[in-house]
Amino acid sequence: MSFVRALVAAGPSTGLAAGRITASRLALAYRWHSTQSPRDPLLTTEHKEHLIPEVQVRSPGARIYTAADEPGKDFDPYKDGPSAVDKAVHLFFFTEIIRGMWIVLEQFFRPPYTIMYPFEKGPLSPRFRGEHALRRYPSGEERCIACKLCEAICPAQAITIESEARLDGSRRTTRYDIDMTKCIYCGFCQEACPVDAIVETQNQEFSTETREELLYNKEKLLANGDRAEAEIAANLQADHVYR
Amino acid sequence: MDSNKFTVFVMPVLQELLLSFTLLVASTVYIDTFASAVELASIQDNVSNAMIGKMRLQFWRDAVKSIADGRPPRHPIALALHDASQKANLPSYHFRRIIDARDAELHTSTHMTLESLTAHAESTSSTFFYLLLSLLNLSSSTTFSHAASHLGIAQSIHVLLRALPYHASKGRMVIPAEITARHGVRQEDVFRRGGDADGISDAVFEFATVANDNLLTAREMFKQSSKGGDGGKVPQVAMPVFLYGIPTRDYLGRLEAVNFDAFAPSLQMRDWKLPWRIWRGYYKREF
Repeated sequence: MSFVRALVAAGPSTGLAAGRITASRLALAYRWHSTQSPRDPLLTTEHKEHLIPEVQVRSPGARIYTAADEPGKDFDPYKDGPSAVDKAVHLFFFTEIIRGMWIVLEQFFRPPYTIMYPFEKGPLSPRFRGEHALRRYPSGEERCIACKLCEAICPAQAITIESEARLDGSRRTTRYDIDMTKCIYCGFCQEACPVDAIVETQNQEFSTETREELLYNKEKLLANGDRAEAEIAANLQADHVYR
Repeated sequence: MDSNKFTVFVMPVLQELLLSFTLLVASTVYIDTFASAVELASIQDNVSNAMIGKMRLQFWRDAVKSIADGRPPRHPIALALHDASQKANLPSYHFRRIIDARDAELHTSTHMTLESLTAHAESTSSTFFYLLLSLLNLSSSTTFSHAASHLGIAQSIHVLLRALPYHASKGRMVIPAEITARHGVRQEDVFRRGGDADGISDAVFEFATVANDNLLTAREMFKQSSKGGDGGKVPQVAMPVFLYGIPTRDYLGRLEAVNFDAFAPSLQMRDWKLPWRIWRGYYKREF
């Protein structure tokens, strides 16, 4: 174990020190070249004498102090080597790696969390707001009475409705368009609907190849409703106790 | 009417009553009126912001107007109400009053004073009873109307108290601030700790007392009036309306039994004796 510790402690730190030395040498060399440029007029000899005056030593025995001689600061003899913290960190990180590998090994033998998406699907809330649908009554009559509340409340102005009266006197939509590229799926339309005609189903997979296919008309919406009616009814049933 | 539109707290209490009723009165007209009242009451629980609720109430305002004009929108409840208004005289100002009250409730679901809550109850529950009285052609009697107004307040408070855990879970306080302040109840405390909150049972007691007082007053109407009943008995014709007092009396009795802890789980369950009590009340002509 002590061998491993020594190896771990020594390995990176020597590399680090070597790197530091080469870096400082390179910097020195660069400065040397740049200051010794003969074309630089400021750094000619007569100017240099003015800029850097000679140090007048007045008291006997006085000398130039370095940072190491600064009172109150202890000189660090381990300055160039790795610190005790570095060594400890490297040791503990080594065990971290082992522990991390152990967790990976554990997970390797466990069943995966991922699902095979198009074939397996995760759970969806009964309140999930996906593709729109227009519902019908059990008699087959469409629910929508063209009150246009959904059109009015729609914050994205994605719904367009035109209506006229039928021969039996009831008002129905002749046109019910939803621009699915504008829709923000806020669910206000289904909240505003007094007859629960427009709903958002749980279908979220309705991507198309062209933009025009996302401009839904009434036939498409009613077809969605016919397809998803059982699902919509089950969701309403599941959710009604919380409303 | 869609089954999902029934609110959690309205339906269980009244379901049995409604069923008994249908058998006794055999009136689909009654169910239509009831459905419209529940539909209006449940709007505020079904919408996420007040604007959508206002729009739906506006739809109902228009619907009431067009029903009066004889061309109802093709909404199941509106059609049923239209049929009902053909058979009996249902004044549309009662509907308008209920709608206006629900509209006001969208903005201020919490009442500051008992007075404003009482006024709201009179505009909703009591007005619903006035409608039922008009269905039975009894709206001309002041005794019945007066009793119905007090019964409406009692019933409204009963429904609010029964729904207190539901409303608290939604962060709404249904007991007027006047009463809760008197007992030092902190709203947040109620939302978090429910029945363990300080002073909540005292506040519930005071609130339930108001309901009980109104119930007693409604009962008193039939004792003191000369033409109304004989010795506190409700005339048989008006009994379908005043049967509504029985679930309220039953609930208040059960609330007292659990020491006015409105969050007690037993209060959330239906009382199995309720159908028997309603049946008995119908034959003894009292509530």
